[in-house]
Formats: sequence, structure tokens, C-alpha cells
Amino acid sequence: MSTRDPDNLISSEEGFDYLFKIVLVGDCGAGKTCIVQKFHSGNFVQRHGNTIGVDFSMKTVLIDGKRVKLQIWDTAGQERFRTITQSYYRSANGVILVYDITKRPSFLSLQKWVDEIRKYTTSHVLLILVGNKCDLEDAREVKKSEADMVREYLPEVFHIVETSAKENTNIDSIFFSLASELKRRQENHQINAEDEVIVKLGSGQTLPSNYRNENQVINLEDSNHERNLSSCSSCSFKVL
Amino acid sequence: MEDDLPTEYDVIVVGTGMTESIVAAAASRIGKKVLHLDSNEYYGGLWATFNFDGLQKWMEDLKSAASENKDFKPDLQDGEQFLQASNQYSTIENIVEDWFISNDEDLPAVLAKNTQTESSEEPSGAEKVDDDKSDKKDTKHWSIDRIKKEYRRFNIDLAPKLLFARGELVELLISSNIARYAEFRAVSRVATCMNGKLTQVPCSRADVFANKTVSVIEKRMLMQLLTSCMDQGADSPEFDGYRDKPFVEYLNTKKLTPIVKHYVMQAIAMATDKTSCRDGVNNTKHFLNSLGRYGNTPFLWPMYGSGELPQCFCRLCAVFGGVYCLKRHLDGVVTSGDKCKAILSGKQRLTLEHLVVGQGHLPPEIVASTGENKISRGIFITDRSIMKGEKENLTLLYYPPEEAGQEAVTIIELGPLTNACPQGLFIVHMTCKRTKTAKEDLAYVVKKFLKAEKLEKNVSRTPTDSQTQTSIAGGESVSKDIESKNPDDENSNNTMPQVLWSLYLNLPASDIKLSESAPNNIHLCSGPDLNLDFDFAVNQAKEIFKSMYPDEDFLPRAPDPEEIILEGEEAPGPKFEGDNSNGENEKQDNEKAEKEE
Repeated sequence: MSTRDPDNLISSEEGFDYLFKIVLVGDCGAGKTCIVQKFHSGNFVQRHGNTIGVDFSMKTVLIDGKRVKLQIWDTAGQERFRTITQSYYRSANGVILVYDITKRPSFLSLQKWVDEIRKYTTSHVLLILVGNKCDLEDAREVKKSEADMVREYLPEVFHIVETSAKENTNIDSIFFSLASELKRRQENHQINAEDEVIVKLGSGQTLPSNYRNENQVINLEDSNHERNLSSCSSCSFKVL
Repeated sequence: MEDDLPTEYDVIVVGTGMTESIVAAAASRIGKKVLHLDSNEYYGGLWATFNFDGLQKWMEDLKSAASENKDFKPDLQDGEQFLQASNQYSTIENIVEDWFISNDEDLPAVLAKNTQTESSEEPSGAEKVDDDKSDKKDTKHWSIDRIKKEYRRFNIDLAPKLLFARGELVELLISSNIARYAEFRAVSRVATCMNGKLTQVPCSRADVFANKTVSVIEKRMLMQLLTSCMDQGADSPEFDGYRDKPFVEYLNTKKLTPIVKHYVMQAIAMATDKTSCRDGVNNTKHFLNSLGRYGNTPFLWPMYGSGELPQCFCRLCAVFGGVYCLKRHLDGVVTSGDKCKAILSGKQRLTLEHLVVGQGHLPPEIVASTGENKISRGIFITDRSIMKGEKENLTLLYYPPEEAGQEAVTIIELGPLTNACPQGLFIVHMTCKRTKTAKEDLAYVVKKFLKAEKLEKNVSRTPTDSQTQTSIAGGESVSKDIESKNPDDENSNNTMPQVLWSLYLNLPASDIKLSESAPNNIHLCSGPDLNLDFDFAVNQAKEIFKSMYPDEDFLPRAPDPEEIILEGEEAPGPKFEGDNSNGENEKQDNEKAEKEE
């Protein structure tokens, strides 16, 4: 808990200035779910079954006074037979690619994961490479220097870090560095939102109380289609 | 042994097409143990969307996959019978692929430099927007090499389909909360071809009244007619005596002017002269019902293509514990009496209560009829829109047959904003019922709207970005310029879209039927059908689910992340109440139990 700065973590139910989709990938058992859990709720749960029913989690962090909302997606176990759906990667702003420093094969499959990421994400997706379980120094099979060398072959990796979800080493920092870099990039090239009219049906990003009544479908006919939601990575309609 | 699967399931689903995926999600959602297999390495089967490279690979594989059937001698118990799976009901026929442009080395070098660069018009801030947009400045025209190089920016559908804004699928996506996995773009215009020219059909009430080609009296006529379709549908006494006669006969009694009749027939009801009044009225009702929900027209298009949607249901299935395995072949099914007991796949015997199987994997022994409604498809990469507009449009055009022996063709034109293709290009999808080969069936429509002749090597057409309305920044000023010049030569040969690449193919029939003697726990899922939307698949999935689990809810709303209470959560979201299925509680209990271990 030591690195956790309560001032920079705010409840996910407030508004936000930026919204980014982050997806986790990496071999089975690398600790993806633990990393998300640790960041999201501060808990470390050693034994996970398949995380049933949990889809993605939301967490808002404060960067330079702006609320950056991260929508963090887990693989739903589909990495096991390498059957992650393309739609999982769609419109992702950031990818956290996880390997287990105590399992060399998980490091060796990075190439395959990167191929998949290249195939399905946009070319400007932000990729962060995470070597998890660095608390298990005795069982280490992948040196940090090896991971650093990977960068030469994988230019899209913008940051490499070793973490321990168990001891909360660098967990928050993964998400903070992703959030601040994404925010920086977004500010630098404000996307012209006029043509970006994307319809989302029943958005998962609003308060549950808004959902109860299915009939609250917002009729978009009269709304201005070209409103500029600067807060959003892609100006999209949130239709409940 | 990574490929070894657990061997006992409630439901095994083979094939990741639309119907299969919906059933898989529904079964998993109520707590059934689901295994979902596909022999391909991609999702969707005949519903898939590919990038350009993926599509080429798919065609390659079709050529080589012809005869993989080996004789299979499984170990069987007494009374069991083995039926070998076959891919004969998912056969693609008459593939014709053509290029109309050249390779890089054949292009004259000078032409790559074009005077009409947009850089001067783009605000400086937008220039670095991203790599994707800036590189359109490098070379201004398209070569085979360039299209191949940019393969990732294409999303090409085998079976493109739209969603009615109030159709079954939209309602299901919202009610099940699966909508969060997908994004859509509203079809921005419905076009129709009137007197040889393409015009935009006024869709909303505002559009109708703003339209200058229709007189006030015609507007009244139209509104009256639409209201009577809308209010009671085909059961209204208004349609007594006409229901089973052609829709056009009924319309003729209404003394409509030709324009109004044209709009109703060809754009709203999408009817031919043979369409019955009942169908015509129902189509009209469906169309009107879906108006005004999202965007200007009743239709939505899934971003990245139709092939995304089955995957959304697969994701839900996985989230609730479904096991996924692609590149996994179904060898056959083991039956005993009137039940299917297991499947054999990759040397494993996997037992099941229900087998849900796509038509591409059926053993021929249990098929009664092979269906008649085969599909002809044409896919075109073009250099501009079939109909000029101020902005990039997503267009639906229904084109009824010109003469006997032709079939009505549905045309969907997608631009870069849907991620179907890179900036400066369009993808045109044509679909109709098969009578001959795809190329023959579609020829009359291709000729009408597209220029499908080889471009001569040394002639380069004017680059299209500025003419087509596609550039993102500064595009508006450009397109206005163009528009003021010459709005009239819509279909003249100069402005017709040039086809850069085309592909014709025939998809199999979707109306295959199982024989009476087929085991009753085998459920058949059809391939893509001829309809414009997905409702056939949704309804088929509902029926299958109901026959498997008559007392269970079909895809009740999945909770949002905030609503799931994980043990020890710091700030749990509000408790999830909207769901009363037992499956859900059970799952949460399981999860807790697992954590307590």
C-alpha cells in the first residue's frame, strides 16, 4: 500500500475528463487478473479461478488535475487457447502485455502477442511491457536486462517495468504512466471529433442507476450529431 | 498437452457464426458449462470480416481444404453410431478475383507527386494526428502493392449486414448488456435510383418536409400511407383484400404520384413487384419503427464490420466461463438412439447434453434438404462514392431488378470512417439471391454504378481525396468547392467510381433443414441469410435456446463491473439487483468459494 497516493485515486462514479480503454494480454497465469485487482481494489488474491462474470473494471486517476478514467479489460480466459476476440482489441488506447519473470515460456511468447496486437489494434496504441511476480526473485527465469533488450525488436513498447501484484510493487505506476502518456498524446493532437460519430448502445460507462429502466432509450434524432466531446477519445454517442 | 480440453459439457457449440455465438452466450450466461469450437483460426465462419491479407489467406485455404476427409475409426461403445462431420454445406463457389490497377513498378513515377496536396489546408495541429492519416500524402494513387501493404486498414465482410435501430439484435444487445463490446455507425443515407439517377431518400419527418422534389400534396399522401402502415401493420382493415396480393397493387389503388410510389416501394419497403402486400406493409412498418433512434436513417452498421458481432457474444460466453478453442476440428458426432452423446475432436471424446452446430460441420446423414436460397456476393474496392455528398457517407441502396431473371440487389457502401478501408477508398458490398454465378447475377448492377475496367498503366486518375469528401481535417472546405462545380454529372462515366479490385463469390444456402430422424439434442445454426439484418439469426438462436432450456431466461442483462461484489472489495458498487436468474447467484457463489480456498 505504500506507493498508493489516496489523493490521486478517486471514485469511479464521478465524471471524467478523459476516457481510455486499456486491455491486458499475456500468457495464462502471468498474473493479469491479479494486477488489475490490485490496482482496482488494493487486494491481492493469490488463487483465482477463472474470473467469472467480471468483464472490465473502471478506475479514475488524477493526472495534473484532470480526471483520467481507465476502462481496464481482462481476457476472460480466452488467452488460454489463444482465442482472444479481435473485438477485445478494438479501440484500445493502451495495451498491458504481461509475462511472468519466473516462467521463461511466458517471456518467449511475447512475440506472438505483439503480432496479435499489431494485427488488431491501431498503429498508435500504447504498449507497456510488464514482468510480473518480481517478488519471486529465487525463481526468476527472465533477467530484467533481457526484457530491456526486447525494446529493440518491439519499438511500440514505450515502457518496461517489473511488478509484483503480491507486494504491490509498481502496480499503480503501470496505470499512472499509461494514463499520463495517453493524456499527453491526446492533448497534443486533439482529434477533430466532427466526423467521429460512433454509436454506442447501452453504454457500460454510466452509473448503474441509469440502467434500470430499459425504456430510457435516448432518442438521438434531435441531438446535435456534431457535438464536440473533447473529453472522450472518440466522440461517441452514449445511448442508454 | 496444452490442447487437451476438459471432457464434459452441458453444451458444445461448433462454429462461431452469429447464431452459434448467441446460443453459446445464452447458455453460458445461465451457468451452463459451454465449450465453443471452431475449425478455423478466426471467429465467425461465413459471417467473418477479414483484413485484406486475411481475405487472401482465406481464399488460399479454400483451395487447399477441399478433401481433408479421412476415414475415421473411433472407439465406440455398444449401440453407438459415429457420424462424420462434413464441410459440404459451407462450400464457397465461383470465386472470381480481379485487379483493375497495376503494381508499383508499372506506375509512372512523376504522377505520384500531386499538386493537390491537402497539407496546406490542414490546420497545423491536425497534421500529426497520427501516422494513419499523414501517409496519405506520400503517394496519391493506389497500386496493388499499396493496397496489399495497407492490408490492415481493410475490414472486408463476407456477409455484410445492417441492424434496424429497433430490430431484434439492437434490443438484444441492449437488454443483455452485450452492447458494451461493440460500436456502431449510423447509416447516413438511404439512396434510391430514380429515372436513372441516384437520389437520397428522405427518411425522417423533417427530411420529408424539407424535400423539394416532393410536393405538399405528395407529402400528405405519403404521411397518410405511412401512418396506416405504422399504426396497425398488415392487420389493419385498410389492407383487407390485398394482403396476399402484391404490395404494388395496393399502392396503385392509392393514386400515389410516381415519386411517392417509388420511395415507398424501393426505399422504404424494399419491395419488388412480386412482394406481397403483407410483407410490404410489414417492411414499411419495420423501417418506420426504427427511424429516429440513432442518426438519420433506421440503420446501424457495426464498426469494423459485421464479423465483430458474433465475437461480442463469444466474449460474453467466455466472461461467464465458456471455454474457447479455435483451429479445432469437429471429426464427428457419436449418437446413441435418438440422442447425440458426444463429439470427437482432436482425439478427444467430449460429452454433452446439447450439441449446437453450424451448418458447416453437419454430418450429411442428418440433413434433410440442402436449401435453395443461395447468395451471390460482390465486393469492390473503389476510389470514390457512388453518390457524391458533402461528407463521407455510409450508404444503403436497394436496387430492384430491371428485367425478368434478375434479382434485387442490396448495395452497402462503406467509407474509411467505418474502418472498412483506408482514407480515399470505399468498399462496395453487393448481395442478391443466387440464380447463376455471383458475377453474372450482379453484372447489371455493377455496370450501372461502377466502372470496372482495367486502368491503363500510364494513365492515372485524379486522386480522389478531394473529390470524395473523405479528408478529416479541412475536408469541408474542399468538398464544398467541388460541389459547387458540377452537381449534375452524377452517373456520367467520369464520376463513376473506378473499381480497383473486385471479388465475386457464392455463399451456400442458409435454409438447410435437419432430417426428422436427427437426434433431437442436435441444434442446427444456419449460415448468413439473404435478409438485410441479423434478425433471422437472433430468432433462430432464441428458438434453439428455448428448445434446450424452456424455463430459463434468454440472455438476461449481464452485470456491469461496478455491480459485482468481489470479496474484500474496498468500495463495492451498488448491489446488483436487476437479475433474478439462479445461474448468476450460483456463479457468484462459486466465485466466492474459489476465493476462500
